[in-house]
Amino acid sequence: MKPTSRHLCFLGLAVVVVVAMLVDYRPALTPSDDTRGMFDYIDSLPQGSLLLVSFDHEASSLPEVRPLALVFLRHAFARNHRLIGIALLAEGTGVGCGLMNQVAKEYGKEYGRDYVYLGFKPQYVAAILSMGESIRQTFPEDYTGRAWESLPMLEGIRNYGDLAGVISITDGSMVMHWVEYGNGRFGVTIAAFVAAAMVTTYDPYLGSGQMRAMVGGLRGAAEYELLIGRVGSGARSMLAQTSMHLYVLLLIVIGNVVYFRNRRSRGGT
Amino acid sequence: MDLATGVAAILTLAVFSFLYRDNPAYKVAESLLIGLSIGYFLVITWNNSLMSLLFKPLFGDGRLSLVIPLGLGLLMFGRFHSKTVVLSRLPIAVLIGAGAGAAIPAMLGARTMAQMSATVQPLWSESNSFNLSGLIVLIGVICTLAYFYFSREHQGGLGRAAKVGTWFLMIFFGTTFGFTVMSRMSTLIGRVEFLLVDFLHLTN
Repeated sequence: MKPTSRHLCFLGLAVVVVVAMLVDYRPALTPSDDTRGMFDYIDSLPQGSLLLVSFDHEASSLPEVRPLALVFLRHAFARNHRLIGIALLAEGTGVGCGLMNQVAKEYGKEYGRDYVYLGFKPQYVAAILSMGESIRQTFPEDYTGRAWESLPMLEGIRNYGDLAGVISITDGSMVMHWVEYGNGRFGVTIAAFVAAAMVTTYDPYLGSGQMRAMVGGLRGAAEYELLIGRVGSGARSMLAQTSMHLYVLLLIVIGNVVYFRNRRSRGGT
Repeated sequence: MDLATGVAAILTLAVFSFLYRDNPAYKVAESLLIGLSIGYFLVITWNNSLMSLLFKPLFGDGRLSLVIPLGLGLLMFGRFHSKTVVLSRLPIAVLIGAGAGAAIPAMLGARTMAQMSATVQPLWSESNSFNLSGLIVLIGVICTLAYFYFSREHQGGLGRAAKVGTWFLMIFFGTTFGFTVMSRMSTLIGRVEFLLVDFLHLTN
């Protein structure tokens, strides 16, 4: 098979991203209002607040979702908030458990006292509604099969009324369900860390106040890293992302120039 | 380098090889992804849902009321045979009824009423400053609705409003497309970072 212009485009993209990742340069960033809004929200909660973090994503979006999850978990544990982890999509279950354990270890947090991981429940709408009645009945045991009563952090927790808020880390439409059923029906505060592709979907909910805060994409993760003062994948990737955007713009310009030149040479208008 | 990192790196490269052309390495990686995803979903559903919410409480704690959802669930298997397919209609009816009952008021409240309420904002704030974004939202909503109003020909004022509506739609599509491209690029960056940092140790 002969290489085509399509292959050359991919090869060029690979070169751009590899070189940009190898260069040790980080472009200057200014946190956006949305990112600062989320930081202020987490920061303004009293120390020890109880947050439910839901890993509502698939494994395929991990490169984008992981930096977002890490910045949230680091900020929340640094503020000594207590976290209940769940997953409403199966593939997010193992990822969520791994990330919570990893960051908890960094901050010396103890399982069962500072955080718990309850695992996955299918039928997300039913799960969100059910937690509004009783989190314990929805998750009678944690991810590893330990009974609810054996986890001291969960003592006295009944439903959303005992939470400071719900944080959804998502690559899809799950935040909409949290807004419709969690916020709309039970009035729980919803905030979200979302893949960039979902930012425009959720902007109206942020504007209307149905969502408290939102951070979007790798850029959002990089901005949040700046705010918590800890460089991670987000900041490291900003040069690569900028370079790739410029590369795509260059391809668009070249494509248009070639198109109009060909049209003129064929005698079109 | 541990075994998991090596396997992940090889599979990443196998998937990337599709960019040149379809090949057996890509097919293996794709089949592994599908098989593992389904297997993982089944195991996690069994452990985290069926065991903890149904079998343990029913057979361990004697909560006999759970016989009802168990029975409804078993009726679903009726779909596998033409003579018993009718049995599956009952659990499907329950699902649709409960789903619609939960969804309709929630969607009306969150997607329609709350959004309409957020659209109608005062154009002048208490401090007497003009709310420009409120005006843009109002014009955008009215003009976009005009574009989707098909009971009258798009001429005159309605036509002009519909035209403005298409501009708002194009801006939305463009922004969404831009964010989607950014999202896909982030995925590529993540995998390249994995290859360069975790697999090849070329950078920190």
